[in-house]
Amino acid sequence: MPSLFVIQGRDQGTRFQLDGSTVTLGRGTSNGVQLHDTEISREHAEFRKRGQAFVIRDLESSNGTFVNGKQIKEQELASGDQLQLGRTLLLYTGVTEGRVEDLADKINIVTRQEEEDGSRIVHSMHQSEGSEILSLPPDNETSSPWLARARSNLQIMYRTALAVSHTLDIDQLLARIMEMIFEWVDADRGCIMLKEIETGQLVPKVRRHRSGLHSDERITISQTILDYVVEKNEGVLTSNARDDDRWDAAKSILRMGIREAICVPMQGRYDVVGVIYIDTSLTPQRMLQQGSVNKFNQEHLKLMIAIAHQAALAIEDTTYYKQMVQAERLAAIGQTIASLSHHIKNILQGVRGGSYLIEMGIKDHAKAIAADDLDVASAEKAVGIMRKGWGIVEKNQERISTLVMDMLTFSKEREPVPEPSNLNELVGDVVELMKARASEENVELVWLPAPTMPMLMFDPEAMHRAILNVITNAIDACHDRNDGRVEVTTQHSQAEMMARIAVVDNGSGIEPDDLDKIFAVFVSRKGGRGTGLGLPVSQKILEEHNGRIRVESTVDEGSRFTMEFPAIAPQPSASGTMPAVRGSTNIEAVPADSSHG
Amino acid sequence: MNIAPSVLIVDASRESREVLRLLLERRGAKTLEAERPEDAIRLAREEHPDLIVFDAESDKSGNGDPTNDLREIADGNHTPIVILGKVRQLRSPLSAEQMVAKPYHYGPLIRKINSLLAAA
Repeated sequence: MPSLFVIQGRDQGTRFQLDGSTVTLGRGTSNGVQLHDTEISREHAEFRKRGQAFVIRDLESSNGTFVNGKQIKEQELASGDQLQLGRTLLLYTGVTEGRVEDLADKINIVTRQEEEDGSRIVHSMHQSEGSEILSLPPDNETSSPWLARARSNLQIMYRTALAVSHTLDIDQLLARIMEMIFEWVDADRGCIMLKEIETGQLVPKVRRHRSGLHSDERITISQTILDYVVEKNEGVLTSNARDDDRWDAAKSILRMGIREAICVPMQGRYDVVGVIYIDTSLTPQRMLQQGSVNKFNQEHLKLMIAIAHQAALAIEDTTYYKQMVQAERLAAIGQTIASLSHHIKNILQGVRGGSYLIEMGIKDHAKAIAADDLDVASAEKAVGIMRKGWGIVEKNQERISTLVMDMLTFSKEREPVPEPSNLNELVGDVVELMKARASEENVELVWLPAPTMPMLMFDPEAMHRAILNVITNAIDACHDRNDGRVEVTTQHSQAEMMARIAVVDNGSGIEPDDLDKIFAVFVSRKGGRGTGLGLPVSQKILEEHNGRIRVESTVDEGSRFTMEFPAIAPQPSASGTMPAVRGSTNIEAVPADSSHG
Repeated sequence: MNIAPSVLIVDASRESREVLRLLLERRGAKTLEAERPEDAIRLAREEHPDLIVFDAESDKSGNGDPTNDLREIADGNHTPIVILGKVRQLRSPLSAEQMVAKPYHYGPLIRKINSLLAAA
């Protein structure tokens, strides 16, 4: 479906699907595309479907609608078009046409045996040699200077295109372009300036001197020239020789020599993104030696314009890509914060409830003992309220702790710290811990440990968390049942070298469509009760143990979660050393976080 | 007040219901509890409570219909309703005294409930 993605503005990171034949855009709530931008009109523009494409029409908005920098009344959109409305910049992506399938029928790929046209390979050339085809055969130079120059220029463009296609780092890209320019043009100094998006000011990014990158010499560039280049979108070749009447030469050529410069706009798809400037000085001595006063000519200017265009396209792509990544990242952070805030808000509500009960209990208790004759029944009742309040506070304290531990487990790149542990004991502890919650929900929690369970190497703390989260979910899944039952079993398979913990419930089950989503972060099917962190954390822990979680579920019948990981027996090695789980040799035990600086 | 007033508590969280139940019982009110507005509709019809305290998050329908239905029944019975949290798809706007933003403090909530019960 065609969509709009907000690259800049208050709604940065939001994607709007253009669903339907007419979609309106504006500040008002009734719009299909609602933008929170005060410079956008209530009803600013509309998108109307025309065939496969969408046509944008300005609805007499106060600040106008711009497509790729040009104000429009109505225009058909093409994929990649940038829409500027108020302070908001959007990117339009159209439908991708299903041409690939059609082509498959029209092109036959034949095997060698059935070659029909008898074609054979006459010449072959490695992809990297492509540029050499443009290089100059030595004898050609004299036969046709024009052809030689054309070839040379073509080669330069080929290499420019290659250079700009390989990087996503703008500074690196600019440095490379500058380097290439110096290779081909006999310039003394050069610099590339880019337009800042916010201010429109040209800011120098890269400079280079013939004598080397690090020179203290300042490059002075006339603002008049820069303005001319950017405004007119024209490249200029300048000289301070007196015959040039456009740029006033103040100093005598004989004393100063001649300074020539080329300044070209970096014209991209949408806008001028910057300028490239190079110059050269001819001392009177060199002028005499060379017998000419010109070093730069039209040919150089043309070439520079072409190079600048290539560079601008690459910069636009890179900038756009970065903005896209940044916008997506902001959207993800926003989602994370919203989800955590909601959960913390619920915990806070619980703490407030619990502590208010305690406060009321204290008040009632004070009243009961302050009465002339001690009212025992009222005092006891007051203590009962306090106790209930305290229970609620404690439960919410536990919730905060779980949330924080899950967040830590999820965010940390943490290697498990395996130690010889008893899985039956560990699962038994978790089941014991969950008994209160299960009875509260009227769920029968059954624990069936494996009859034999050898000591195994795993991280008991992490595994505790993984199992706890799965059992918590199983109990919660039985919420709507009166005969809820959760069965926890362990198994050790000598033959498969695997340890398994199965948690089976007879709860609500999981819709087949939701099965893929249960391990996605911040996706909770439990409404306000879930953080959406539990299962992703469990999965992460199992994966850290080279294991996994398998899920089988039937709606209204229940689910079975099986956590399994390789059963590694502790090695009866000398004390003080610990068998490595992943490595091949025994290593000295080191603190888990010692590798982090 | 001679007869104990009755308050219908609609909240998906057992814990929140318990807190409110204890606080209302403490001031001598009877309470009815429902986990979802769908159940609350039945209770409101049959029991005619004097007040409904409704947590917006207990409506899991996604379209807001149960919430709106419950409100209509409450309005028909002239039963005041206090809504905790934000409801998105309301058919008619709420008055300020009916709304309590989350997370709320219990002191002001109980005071609001008391004044509504006194007015009823």
